[in-house]
Amino acid sequence: MDLDKLQVNACTRSGWQAVDLGFQMARAWFRPLYLAGVMAMLPLTAVLLLLFWKSPFWALAIAWWLKPFWERLPLFIASRKLFDEDAGVWQSFRSFPVKDILPWLLWRRFSMQRAFDNPVTVLEELRGGQRRQRLRVLHGKYSDVALGNQFVCFCFELLVCFGIALTLDFFTPESLDLKVYDRYGDLTLVGEWMFTLSALLAMTLVMPFHSMAGFALYLNRRIELEAWDIEISFRNLVQRKRSDVTRSTGLLASVLLAGLVGLAASGGAEAALEHDRSSASDLIAEVLQGEDYGQEKVVRKWRFKDWSEEVEEESFPEWLIEFLEWWEQNIQWSTDFSGAAFWLKLLLVLLFLGCAGYLLWRYRGPLARLGGKSPEAAVPEVLFGLDVTPQSLPPDVPAQVMRLWGEDAYREALGLLYRASLSRLIDKYELAFRASHTEAECASLVKARGIESLSDYFWQLTRVWRELAYGHRIPAKERVQQLCHGWSRELSDEPH
Amino acid sequence: MLDTRYRVEIPGGINLDAQVVGPIPRFFAFAIDLCIRGVIIFVLSLMSIPFGTFGVGGGFFLILLFAIEWLYPVLFEVFWRGQTPGKKALGISVINDDLTPVSLGTSLVRNLLRTVDFLPLFYLAGLVTMLSNRHFQRLGDLAAGTLVISVRESARAAPVPDIEPLAPSTPLLRTEQTSIIDFLQRSPQLSGPRQQELADILEGVTHQKGDDGVRQLHRIGAWFLGLR
Repeated sequence: MDLDKLQVNACTRSGWQAVDLGFQMARAWFRPLYLAGVMAMLPLTAVLLLLFWKSPFWALAIAWWLKPFWERLPLFIASRKLFDEDAGVWQSFRSFPVKDILPWLLWRRFSMQRAFDNPVTVLEELRGGQRRQRLRVLHGKYSDVALGNQFVCFCFELLVCFGIALTLDFFTPESLDLKVYDRYGDLTLVGEWMFTLSALLAMTLVMPFHSMAGFALYLNRRIELEAWDIEISFRNLVQRKRSDVTRSTGLLASVLLAGLVGLAASGGAEAALEHDRSSASDLIAEVLQGEDYGQEKVVRKWRFKDWSEEVEEESFPEWLIEFLEWWEQNIQWSTDFSGAAFWLKLLLVLLFLGCAGYLLWRYRGPLARLGGKSPEAAVPEVLFGLDVTPQSLPPDVPAQVMRLWGEDAYREALGLLYRASLSRLIDKYELAFRASHTEAECASLVKARGIESLSDYFWQLTRVWRELAYGHRIPAKERVQQLCHGWSRELSDEPH
Repeated sequence: MLDTRYRVEIPGGINLDAQVVGPIPRFFAFAIDLCIRGVIIFVLSLMSIPFGTFGVGGGFFLILLFAIEWLYPVLFEVFWRGQTPGKKALGISVINDDLTPVSLGTSLVRNLLRTVDFLPLFYLAGLVTMLSNRHFQRLGDLAAGTLVISVRESARAAPVPDIEPLAPSTPLLRTEQTSIIDFLQRSPQLSGPRQQELADILEGVTHQKGDDGVRQLHRIGAWFLGLR
């Protein structure tokens, strides 16, 4: 048993969770398990069906009774798959586990925990007193879950069987003249065959899930009793320590070599030694253990913020109790209910009106917007932290820009030009800039306005401004002059 | 690695884990709910008899029947932390697939689609879909984006053992610390030889063998439990 190769996540689970894990196992290995089940079942069942071709229910009953026999091969294959060994169906067929089969087909056929007990017989190959003792240890608190597994899988089998049969019946064309029931309501031979085949199919389909659920329950118990998860974790720990040591010695050797050849300065080598990966991870683990980081908080429930903990959520509301008491005392049961219909109607109408009113109130915002035109968005006064009101601009913007530029106040100069442009665009072209827009979004809004020269200009200005504002790249003076001319041409008030 | 774990990573790199629940527990939960609904409907039908079978009583009864059939799971799931009484009994609950609580909308979708899961009879379609995806979601769950997960019972704090704690000689990762604590707390269930076997794996850490190693590990575990 090599736990490193274990294909399921070993951790302690509740019984129901173990059963769910079994279903996951059956899902993952469904093909080989199903094939194995069918292969074990098919030859004998085919013979039985031929023998009892006039009353196939007998064949079905015998096949059903032999279930403990069919289930062994899938279990055997699963036990190999569990440790990542690929057991071919044929190969396991040759080592068919038939030991101790007789009791399982006689008195133990009535066992209600077969899937759970099977591994002890098939895989551990225990019998007699040893087996009983082992089962006593294993069963523990999981008997009821094993029982539940058996019961539910039996229900699933019935469900799948009748589901298939019913679907077949629905989709059989009338013209085929295959009657499932005769005129007395009894099953015909065709009907018997249909149900038999459906039941056999259902049996093979459900079997992998049933036996894997039991197997997972068995595994879960062993993980619990033998602490497989702890063993895996301990082994990983040892592995980690060992690889840390080899890594650090390897690093040490390489650093020494580098020092000898004189490729690395001695200071650098020391730094590398201080911060190599293994010691760093140890250091990190050490820090994480400390008071500052080593805090863990377990929160297991969703709760609203500031929800008072004292509220007893499961208590019965007081008003309901009072109402029920009032109801009991004041309402007389009588057969005269001529008025009741009216009151009921009134109640329903009031309820409806209340609901409608509530909905109207709840969605008053969206509804108001639906009706009229959406309210005018307020003209923004500040974009990207720049004041864009017309009042804030100097009378002659280009001159002011060039003056600031001359004083080496590059950022202020271009900022003025940019915000003056924005202000003009809002004012003159009524562009609906919003405070949430980015520079590029503003530029594309300008483009959408459809004046090509204007949008070209604004794109250039935006690019230069962005480079200065965010990239700290100062443009050439000629470029700024060019932009100022552009501003006078495109955006100033005077006619050009 | 086969597991029933469902993991969601939320911003900040925090992983939220949940265990998805398969058909068997859900079968029992459904059966319990079915019984409860059956009892309620039975009582209501008795109560409606004096009102007249076809008159007001009949109509009232039908309305209630409709409401109970369709709203019973929805109301419980929305207002009772994703649990109907049956789910509560089995310790499972419904939750959105990003592990937030179910809302009215998602719960309605998942329960209205029961009709589809029911086809062709008694939830065969639901069973088949549940078994054909990794998180055991039936069609309604897939449509609504919900999961059924098991509710973790808050573990009872194990009594802190009365032994002298010992700091580990070497720093350990958090998972390693928890497994040493596990070793301490689960040792009553483990046989003596098995404990020694496990402790011997860590000989490099404890520098002890056999029974001494076990004791040493217990002391380190006590230290990780907070004893000083």
